[in-house]
Formats: sequence, structure tokens, C-alpha cells
Amino acid sequence: MKGFTIILRRELAGLYFSPVSWFLLAATLLYNGFFFLTMLQASGGEVNLALSAMHQGPLWFLLSFLAPLLTMRMISEEGRSGMLEFLLTAPVTDAAVVLGKLVASTVFLVVAWTSVPLYALLCQFLGAPPDWGQVATQWLGVAFVATLFSGIGLVASAASATPLFAAFLAILANLLLLVLPLATGFVRGPWREGAEWVRDKIDVQAHFQGSFLTGAIDSAHLVFYAAWIGLVVFLAVRLLESKRWAR
Amino acid sequence: MILVQNLIRRFGSLTAVDGIDFEIGAGEVVGFLGPNGAGKSTTLRILAGFLPATRGRVVVAGHDVLTESMEVRRRIGYLPEAVPLYRDHRVEEMLLFQGRLHGLSRREARRRAGEVLERVGMGERSRSIIGRLSKGQRQRIGLAVALLPDPEVLLLDEPTSGLDPLQRIEVRKLLGELAADRTVLLSSHILPEVEAVAPRVIVLHRGRIVADGTNQELVEALGGRSHVRFEAVVGDPLEAQRLLLQLPGVRSVREEGTAGIHRGFRIDADGDVREDVGALAAQRGWAIRELSWQRPTLEQLFLRLALDLDPLEGEPGGEPVPVETPASPQESVQLELPVAGESVAPQAPGPAPTLNPFQPPPPPAT
Repeated sequence: MKGFTIILRRELAGLYFSPVSWFLLAATLLYNGFFFLTMLQASGGEVNLALSAMHQGPLWFLLSFLAPLLTMRMISEEGRSGMLEFLLTAPVTDAAVVLGKLVASTVFLVVAWTSVPLYALLCQFLGAPPDWGQVATQWLGVAFVATLFSGIGLVASAASATPLFAAFLAILANLLLLVLPLATGFVRGPWREGAEWVRDKIDVQAHFQGSFLTGAIDSAHLVFYAAWIGLVVFLAVRLLESKRWAR
Repeated sequence: MILVQNLIRRFGSLTAVDGIDFEIGAGEVVGFLGPNGAGKSTTLRILAGFLPATRGRVVVAGHDVLTESMEVRRRIGYLPEAVPLYRDHRVEEMLLFQGRLHGLSRREARRRAGEVLERVGMGERSRSIIGRLSKGQRQRIGLAVALLPDPEVLLLDEPTSGLDPLQRIEVRKLLGELAADRTVLLSSHILPEVEAVAPRVIVLHRGRIVADGTNQELVEALGGRSHVRFEAVVGDPLEAQRLLLQLPGVRSVREEGTAGIHRGFRIDADGDVREDVGALAAQRGWAIRELSWQRPTLEQLFLRLALDLDPLEGEPGGEPVPVETPASPQESVQLELPVAGESVAPQAPGPAPTLNPFQPPPPPAT
């Protein structure tokens, strides 16, 4: 896709040359270190258990906030500064602009989370080897989740006039995506079946836990994530296109 | 090189561009002139492929903007009014980014970056952080970015907006150089800029083209004909007026007040009649204080638009029709534009029925 790699490189450079990003990276390292140590102690030194625990609460909480902070400026700020007009009159497609930004954010998030597999490597050196197959699938799953949350962030950024509002919208959407499946458990009576059907379609955590977390790669779960990512990318491209119609 | 046919762009109920047509040939330099909100930026954005048109056809460099947008984007250099630059980038990084977007190899982009930076006079600032440059320097970098892919067509929206007078002169000079080897369409509401750079001017007002031609054609089309200004000690002003009117080619003579013992006259003629007037003055022994050729400027046309005096008044069809200069002197007073050297400040309406702020004060009763 024309221009994708050029946009991706620029966005990555923008992320890695920004002091804020390095602050976020450092904060993530501390966050991961604290929780991994806590989980490791709570599991009695069982590395695989600690790793699994890391990919439940801490992962989702971190990505729900970190992805919006990374993506909030990517479209809304460029709209304000006029850079969007520059990009959208350059010989690159709207989809290349969105995908370049999406992949840049995903790469940053995955790199930030890679400290967890590094802790696993440290445990290996210390004589407690983890299940590397499981670590690899968990890492792959994190890449899918990071892509999805980055996509949601880009949709919010494209729909908002200011980065702060974009971050607020994206965090809200991420939390809703995590909380709504839990809420369906409270539905009773004739609506229960429908609520469960909806939960099955939106429960990103359950699809992660049913596949990547356990070390299994199931095509059904891959398709589930691919469909969600496709949807948010489509929305982001359409919203970007709608900027052309705004005055 | 640029063909625009019946272009319409609406934003909800607002019609920003209202059925405009024009054609610009290869190598032409054209200025888009009009007050704020006239539709200049919207038209440029449509030409650049950023905004889709509501209706109409736009062809740039032989490609339809709507159906062959990518081809058009490869062939244009577009500088929006808010110069789009990544402020945290170094100048050369921004230029390399633009080059890579246009499919240049890294080496080629670097070579072009050096060339265009030299061209805009910023060769020594390639390592500067863009955010630390002055507004004028950023404007030049914006121009360099637009020029980098060596575009066939250059679209510049208010290229000197926000610059100080010195910076404006520099950018204007640069635009003059750029115009030598490519098609340029630049918009501005600053008249000297357009007059200095573009031989042809398209005047937009309320989304419609109200005039299209060279500077002189425009001012003449809108009733601002050149005339001779004559001031001398003539004795009997009525006799002088009669004699002047008898000169060949003179259509009207109007007295324009007195300064001490000198009488001023405005002589409208088919050509420059200064020699005939001078000969008559010598023959009659009139002591001349002024004998000059007064040429109206585009500025007056623009002020007329800016003050919301519709140049198309009385032309419901909306076509850019030249305003005829009527034959009778009285009508001439009502239609004429001020000339260079006259005050262009709006004045209170005089006894004449039209509310023309440019109408000169009535001559004193004799």
C-alpha cells in the first residue's frame, strides 16, 4: 500500500523521539516490574502462573489507558495543525495513513509490553524456565489486543477535535468493551440468551483467555480479533475521509 | 494545465464556491484575488484534491481530480495557508518525508532537498528544528516542501500571510522566480503581492468569479479607465473646459476643484492626450502645475469588493460582465473608480443618487 511504510516510519520516529513517550515507556517498565514481582510472589514462584496473571488484569488495564494516550494526537492534532491537509493531498491513500499510524502505535505498545517476556527470560537464567510456547502465544495475543485498542484510539482521535477529548473517548470505549461483557451476566429472563450472544461477540478478554493465554492459537479467536480490528480500521478511515467534507 | 468547469462547493446551506469556470494554460501564473470568505481557499483545496466538489469538473495536469486523485497529487505542489510542517522535525527530515511520500529514493530526495533549500534561500538551515524557525523561515520551508517533488502545478494559498513587510518582499521575489518554469496559482487578499507576481488575476467574490484578466483589463472592465489630470492657471475655467473638450479624442472634461489660483481638470479621452493638452496650454499661455496620466489600480477594484459593493450589481445572470463606461459625463461621475493618487477612503454620499464611497466630492460651484 502506497505510503504505508513512510507513514509508519514517521510515526515511529515521532513516538520514539518524544520525551512523553519515553516517560510512558519508563512508567510501563515500572508497572510491569511491580506487578510481575507481586504475581510471582503470590504464585509461590510459579513463573507460568505469574505470566498468566500478568496477561489478565494488568495487561488490560495498561492498554486501556496507554493506547489512547499514544493515539490521541495522531489524527486530531494533525487536523488542528494542518498536517492532515498535507497528508491527504500527498500521493498516499487514506487507508495507508490510518494503517501507518495504527501499526506504529501497536509496535510501541508491544515493545513496551515486551518487558514481561524479558522478565520470563530472567527467570530462565535464575533457574525457573517458563513455557516458551505459551509466552510466545501470549505475546502474539498482546499484539492483537494492542492493535485493537490502537484502532479504537484512532477512531476516537479522528472523531475528536482535541487530543484530550480523543483520549477520554478512547478510554471510555476501552473500559466499556471490558465491562459490558461482565454486565451481561446480570441479565435474567428471556433476554439472557440474547445478552450471551452479544457478550460472545464483544468479549475481547474471553477470546484472549480462551486462546492466546493458554498457549493455543485458535483460528476462531484470530478471526474474532481480525474482524474487530477490521471494523475499527474501516471506521477510522471513513472518519478521516469525512474530514475532507468538514469546513 | 488547470480546467475548472461549473465548480460548486456547498457546506450545508452555505455555498462557498458557486459555479465557477476558468482555464489556466501551462506556464501561466495566475493570482486568485478576493476578500476573506470569497472562496479562494476552498477552490484551491478542491484543486489539490483535499476537498471534493459538490458539483462540477476539475482537471489538473490532464487528470480529473475526482477520479484520478492520485495522479493529480503526484503532479502538484500545494502550500495551504496554515503551513503544514512537523515542528519537532529538522528541516531536512521534513523534506525527506515529502520526497519519500512522492516516491523519490532516499538519495534523490536528499539531492532535491538540497536544491529546493538553496532555491528558497534556506540552504544553511537544513539541520534546524522547524519549531525554532521564524514564521517567515517556516513559510519558505513550506514552499520548499511544496517544490520538492518538482511539481508541474504549484498551488499556493496566501503564501505571504502573516509575514512582515520585508519577509513579504522576499517571498514575493521568490514566487516571481518560481513562476518562470511552472504553472502557478496563488491566492491572496494582498493586492501588491498578486499584482507583482501574477500577470493574470481571477477575482472571486462570494464564490463567483467577478473578473478574469490582466490587471489593466480588470480595472478597465470595471470602469476604471485611465485619464489625464490637468492643473493650471487658466483664467476662465468654463472657456478652458470648452477648449479642452474640443481636442481630438476627448470625451469629457470635468473640473476637479481649485488650489489657489490653479484649476484642476479631469480629462477622459480615448488615449493619452497630454501632448495635445500641453500644446493647447502653451498656445493659450496657461501656467501648468500638473499634467499627468492617471492609471487606476487593482487596489480600487479590490476595495470595492471588500466594502461589499457588488461589481455584478445589475447583472443577475452572474457572468463577469465588464462595466460599461457611459458616455455622458454625469453618469461617468457615478460609475468611475478613484485613480491612483486620490483618496480611497469612503466618503459620505453626495447629492448623486448612487451610494458609491469612491465617488469624488462634487466640484465646487462656479
